[in-house]
Amino acid sequence: SQTLLGSVPRRLVAVVPVEYKPPSTETNPTLEDPTPDYMNLLGMIFSMCGLMLKLKWCAWIAVYCSFISFANSRSSEDTKQMMSSFMLSISAVVMSYLQNPQPMSPPW
Amino acid sequence: MRSLLLIPTLLLLLALPVSRGRYNDDFDDGEDLADFDDNDFAEFEDMNDDLAAEAETAPPPRVSPSSQPEEDEDEATVELEDGQDGFDDSETQDQDMYSKYDQEEFEGVGDMEKTGHSMKDPLIIHTVPAHLQNSWESYYMEILMVTGLLAYIMNYIIGKNKNSRLAQAWFNSHRELLESNFALVGDDGTSKEAVSTGKLNQENEHIYNLWCSGRVCCEGMLIQLKFLKRQDLLNVLARMMRPACDQVQIKVTLNDEDMDTFVFAVGTKKAMARLQKEMQDLSEFCGDKPKSGAKYGLPESLAILTEMGEVTDGVMDNKMVHYITNHADKIESIHFSDQFSGPKVMQEEGQPLKLPETKKTLLFTFNVPGMGNTSPKDMDTLLPLMNMVIYSIDKVKKLRLNREGKQKADRNRARVEENFLKQTHAQRQEAAQTRREEKKRAEKERIMNEEDPERQRRLEEAAQRREQKKIEKKQMKMKQIKVKAM
Repeated sequence: SQTLLGSVPRRLVAVVPVEYKPPSTETNPTLEDPTPDYMNLLGMIFSMCGLMLKLKWCAWIAVYCSFISFANSRSSEDTKQMMSSFMLSISAVVMSYLQNPQPMSPPW
Repeated sequence: MRSLLLIPTLLLLLALPVSRGRYNDDFDDGEDLADFDDNDFAEFEDMNDDLAAEAETAPPPRVSPSSQPEEDEDEATVELEDGQDGFDDSETQDQDMYSKYDQEEFEGVGDMEKTGHSMKDPLIIHTVPAHLQNSWESYYMEILMVTGLLAYIMNYIIGKNKNSRLAQAWFNSHRELLESNFALVGDDGTSKEAVSTGKLNQENEHIYNLWCSGRVCCEGMLIQLKFLKRQDLLNVLARMMRPACDQVQIKVTLNDEDMDTFVFAVGTKKAMARLQKEMQDLSEFCGDKPKSGAKYGLPESLAILTEMGEVTDGVMDNKMVHYITNHADKIESIHFSDQFSGPKVMQEEGQPLKLPETKKTLLFTFNVPGMGNTSPKDMDTLLPLMNMVIYSIDKVKKLRLNREGKQKADRNRARVEENFLKQTHAQRQEAAQTRREEKKRAEKERIMNEEDPERQRRLEEAAQRREQKKIEKKQMKMKQIKVKAM
């Protein structure tokens, strides 16, 4: 049988390649990096604080959180979720400045 | 290197606003002083231009708090006190101008003069709100924030590109070896047929996967390039405190006939200690503490975890020792196991446990040299390690324990299973009990729901008969046991 198959190396013969199955992360959630989810949640909390309490620094931190969440996100993740948290933080910043155009005062 | 440049720029930008801040105070003082001037037009004077003008108006108002307020308001006769030697003629000129205005144009000034006399309380000067000032410097915090964001975005782009270049360099140097050994190189799981994509599957900005399959002796090999999160600025800053390195993780899954029953691991001392605690199979089968690798000719820095000595002798042949010694700095851990099921999973209380599914696996974790500052050239140094992986696959297929070893191994596995069953005995009993009760309840419900009274009665009788049979069976069993005991 080897001679019939000619130049094909023996070890590649009669072996059916197995398809790729992505490792299911539901069974071991500890292996997943939780950073993008935490940052997403933090970003939303900060932007709600910034909007409701009219705190400019909250809104800016929310923008940073959504950027960090985006940088750490997996490619399989929903872009709609990313975009919505991003838009929410931007709107928090814009609303804070529209309501109170004074510049932000440093804490020191 | 580029990340190092970012930090000084950020610091520079931080320093600028601090100095600007003081400038702001000067402006505020200027406005206070302007309001002290009795001229009606004082508030319209442009404070941003002349520092000279400021200097001029500064001295007389500074004098005024010392003199009495009513004399201040008296434009016609302004008495220059001692100590005002430094004044120019322009100062007296201004005062003449004021008196000229007074007589020719303004009517209400006299009233102001009168009220001014009675004013004893100090004037409260409000500062012009910063956003009405014509200066961008008051928004320095915002500018700082935006600059920070821009720095983050720049770092994201640079980091992403670096990781991508490193991944491509790794793949280019390993492509030939992989393609000669595997029929299928690269599959992202999206297409129905197993067709080779021939490129890496990007999971993240810092994780790249590659699935290779189609070789004898193994089911498939998953290679994960786990780079550092160079695209996240926070991570870059954190790594300045705590250096870390890129890793290449290779997981070879084997068919049942490809490997005999043994558990073995070798790697750095730290990694071995960690794996022994974390991994299900290593903690169950390799109970002894990690032994130093020096006994087998490996460097001191490496330790071995094994199920039995025979396994180590079998795995650590000359070629493996040669491979490992030459590349000891790049090896984090090597783990061969027929009982691999991943790390220990925390079980919830009250859950009927099943033995976790095991798969015959070879795991390799390699550190990329450079400790974070890797260049694409460094990827070539990992090529011999891939050769070692291929060699290991073939070796494990050939490695067979002798009779004693096999017996020992089987006993170990039986022991582990028994322990597991004992631990879960109570829970499994409970689970069986609940299942039985569920069945009874379901039957009763069925009987209740039966509309036809005839059928209902018949079903009830059938259920009763079944109960009776069960009780009789139990009694028979008890009798048999009693007889046996006697």
